[in-house]
Parts: sequence; C-alpha cells; structure tokens
Amino acid sequence: MKSLFFAEIIKLVKQSKTYYAIGAIFVIELLILMTAYYQGSTILDLLLDNLKQSFYFEGNLLNGNLILYIVLNSLWFNVPLILMIVTAGIVTDEYKDGTMQTIALQAVKKWQLIAVKYLIAVFFTLLVILFMVISTFILAYSFFGKGDLVVYLNTLNFFESADAFQRICWSFASGAVAMVFYSVASLTIAVLIKEAAKTWIVAALFLILTNLLLKLDLGTDALNHFFFPKLIDTWQQLFYYEIDQFRIIVNNVLLVLYSIGLAVIGIWVFHKKDIG
Amino acid sequence: MMLIGTNLSKSYASGKVLDDVSIQIAPGQICGLLGRNGAGKTTLFKILCGLIKPDEGTVRLNSSRPKPIGGIIERPGLYPYLSAYDNLKIFAGIQGARSDRQSIQQYLLKVGLPLDRNDPVRNFSLGMKQRLGIAIALLNDPECLVLDEPFSGLDPIGVSSLIQLIEHLALNEHIAILLSSHMMAELSKCCHFLYVIEGGKMVNTGTSAQLISQHIRTFTIVAENIASSVTLKKYEASVGSNEAKVWCNAVEIPKLLGELLAEGIPVTACAPELSLEQLINRAE
Repeated sequence: MKSLFFAEIIKLVKQSKTYYAIGAIFVIELLILMTAYYQGSTILDLLLDNLKQSFYFEGNLLNGNLILYIVLNSLWFNVPLILMIVTAGIVTDEYKDGTMQTIALQAVKKWQLIAVKYLIAVFFTLLVILFMVISTFILAYSFFGKGDLVVYLNTLNFFESADAFQRICWSFASGAVAMVFYSVASLTIAVLIKEAAKTWIVAALFLILTNLLLKLDLGTDALNHFFFPKLIDTWQQLFYYEIDQFRIIVNNVLLVLYSIGLAVIGIWVFHKKDIG
Repeated sequence: MMLIGTNLSKSYASGKVLDDVSIQIAPGQICGLLGRNGAGKTTLFKILCGLIKPDEGTVRLNSSRPKPIGGIIERPGLYPYLSAYDNLKIFAGIQGARSDRQSIQQYLLKVGLPLDRNDPVRNFSLGMKQRLGIAIALLNDPECLVLDEPFSGLDPIGVSSLIQLIEHLALNEHIAILLSSHMMAELSKCCHFLYVIEGGKMVNTGTSAQLISQHIRTFTIVAENIASSVTLKKYEASVGSNEAKVWCNAVEIPKLLGELLAEGIPVTACAPELSLEQLINRAE
C-alpha cells in the first residue's frame, strides 16, 4: 500500500493537470480579489447605505474577511467542479493510457490499487483546499486588511473581525469535508463509467443535482436532515449568529460516512469488474 | 507446461467471442496465435492474463513466483508524461520489485533501450514503447510472457530487432512466450508452435514447419532468366523476368528446384508466401 501511494504521489506531482487545477483555483481567487478591489466598495455602499446611517461599523466593510467569505462561496460550484474533473482523471486517465491494464498485469492486488486512488484523491483535495486557504488569507489580508464581516443569510449578520476569522477558518475545514465527498463521488463515478468525457458529464450532473436538492424540501425530516445533498452546505452554517455545533459535527461526520460508503462501493465494483 | 488454458469460452452482448478454446505453452517455447482482426486473440490473451474472467474453462499457470505472467495487451500502457526510467521505477515500486537505479538500468539494457533518454515516453517511437512495455512486463521475473500484436506499426528493422529480443528471452531465460499477430510472416520467423484462431474457435494448430508444409501452396522463386524455364510450364505459375510465383504443394518444391537447376536456371531464393487465409481456409 505504501509503495502504491508513493507511486500515486509521483504521478500527481509529474502531471501538468495537477498544476492546472491549482492554477484554476488561484485564477478564481484573483478574479474575486480584482472585482472586489475595483467594484466592491460601490456595491457595498449601495447595500448598506441605510444601515450605515443607524449603525457604526469598525473599519472598512470591504475587508479581507469579506473577501475570504466570497472566496468560500466558490465551494458551491467552481472548486468542486475542478476537483471532480481532476480526481476522476486519477482513474479515467489510467484507462485511456492503458496503464490500468499494465498495473493489473503486475503483482498488485486490485482492491489495494483502487483503495490507494481514493486515498490520493482525498489527499489531493485537502492539499488544494489548504493551498486555497493559505493563498486567500495572504492575498485578502495583504490587499484589504482586517475588519468586521457582514454576511447575508436570510438576514444581514455582522461579526467582529476576530470572531469572523475563527468562523472562516472552521468553515474552510467543514468545506474541505464537503469537497472530499465530491472528490470521492467523482472517483466512484469514474470507476463505474471508465471514460473521461462521460464521467465529467455525470460528475457535473451530480454536482448540479446535489445543489438543486439542497434547496428542495424532500418531504420527510430524515431526508431533510440526513440525505447527503442537505449536508454539503454545512460550512455555511458557521455564519449564523447562533452556531448549532452539534448539528455541524453530525453533518460532517455523516458526510465522512457517505464518502466512505461511496469509496467502498467503488472499491467493490472495481474489484468485481473485468479490466479491459 | 507453463501455461495451460482449457476449454475457454467467453460471450459478450454482441455474441460469443471465444468458443471452447484450449492452448498451452512450455517453458522456453515461443508460441504464435494467428488470427484475423476480431478473431478472439485479444480476448483470449486477456483471459490468460487474468484481466477478464472466462464464462467457461480454466487457466492454469505452473509458477510459484509473485508475478507468474507478464504481458502487453493491445498496446504498451505507459505513463506518457514520465521517462522510461520513471515508468519502470513506478511499475517496479508498486509490486515491491527491485527499483534501485542499477536494477532499472538493467531492464532498460535488456530490452535495448538507451540509458540517456530522460524525456517523457510520449516522444518515443512505437518500437521503443514496445520495448519499454516488454521491460515492464519482465519486472518481477515472470516465467511466462504474453505479447499481443507486438509487431503492429513497426518497420522491418523494428520487427527484426524485436524478434531477436523475443528469441533471446525464450532461449536464455527460458521464458514461455505467447505472441499474437495477424501477420503470419512475422510469427513464422520466430515461433516454434502456431495456433490459428478464427471466429472465436481454434481452427488449426501445429509446429510452424508443419503448418507451412501442410498448408502453404504459394512459393516465390527468384532466379535470373526464369522466364525461359520449360519446367515451370508444367506448374501453375505466374512468371516475371527474374521472379516466378508458383502454386504447388510444399513437398513438390525440392523436385521443382532440382529440375530448375538441371535446366540451368540459377535459383537464388525460394520463399513460401505465407498467408493467414490459407491456414484458415484449408483447415475449414
């Protein structure tokens, strides 16, 4: 297992698509920063004009914490889409290049081969999120400084700078769990479909459906609380005034369990299926 | 026997692709599997290598090594963005085979690949990729090697060089080698034993010499002034200025050559024209 994992790391490091993925996320961050730099103040002034007459806000509201919150919102679609494409490639590229067959012709256990691919997908996802966190913190605080955070979730919520920082850190951690879920789901789709283009279409559909189902009332409490589409926005619950810690922990544990379940299905299918 | 496949059958939704096929190969032997495209060669190879499961039949490998069988199916599957050295290192590493620099270089030298190429294998010629594929197949010292269409896309020098490598592996390392091709001339050059597959069924088997003598009826004779030969008029032949194509049984060839020499025609070459169709059609 260790040698298989090491081989996967080498492949990840030597492939250009790894850097394209990181580059794409960095470009999203830069676009958000540039938009905020040139137009952010105007938009905020329009939104908060009335409130500013009644309340005192410490510092500039267009600050690093707001930028971080906006970047966090790319966890809805942009980041999971990029992650799903890259992680699906861990399997589909091997089928396309014929290397899956070459590996299967070596003295390697099939279940270990695919289990390591799930591990590397999780590792890569966490690495990308870590890169995203560090780069965004550096850029956002360097260009916009710190300050109070204003967030609109049903109503306008205001957080002091230090409180906002903590909430952002925890929401990135919770978001990482959601991203791991998407990556694992994408890898399982890739195991089932094998072909890159079809896998991307199905993965994108999965992402869209998950986002749509999140907004729908699914009829029963069980589904509304425990079905996986209802868990992927847990990171956002950290921006309500009252944080339901127990709910957030349960949601994240459930997402981890869903991820493990999807990985087990993928490993089982891969083990049973013929290669070639 | 090193590898024995018995009564193998396999069906897909499109129909039966293998029907009660048996095959066996001894250590140090080179066996050829001949068949048209779509005859079932690759499916048989995939079953022998354990990539797909047969609906019926069994595969037995008489080897106790960690990797009893190595091979290339359809094309060498390589990481295009890695060098030959890194490809070998990765495939060696994942199965716990020796992956130190010296061992990897030995594999590169064994298949005749240069040690100073550090560029990605996407830049390699098909022949070099085939060689690297064989080096990967040889990792962990398998006792049996299966090569599916190893000559396709290679130029004549590449084919000749690959045949030398295959013969070396069988002769010096006693590896049982099974090759497939739809090009009979290439297989007949190096194989001790031939299997002919058609429509998922084994239609002909025998030593290469046997099959040629029993089924090949077309021979090309090269000689100066062969057009003036009287002897050739007794045979079904198409005669050019210095070359004639003769249709006869292999057993008649020594007599024909004797008569040509007696007539004063200096024969410089006589080669059977190998055609897969003849092996398939004559067997049916």
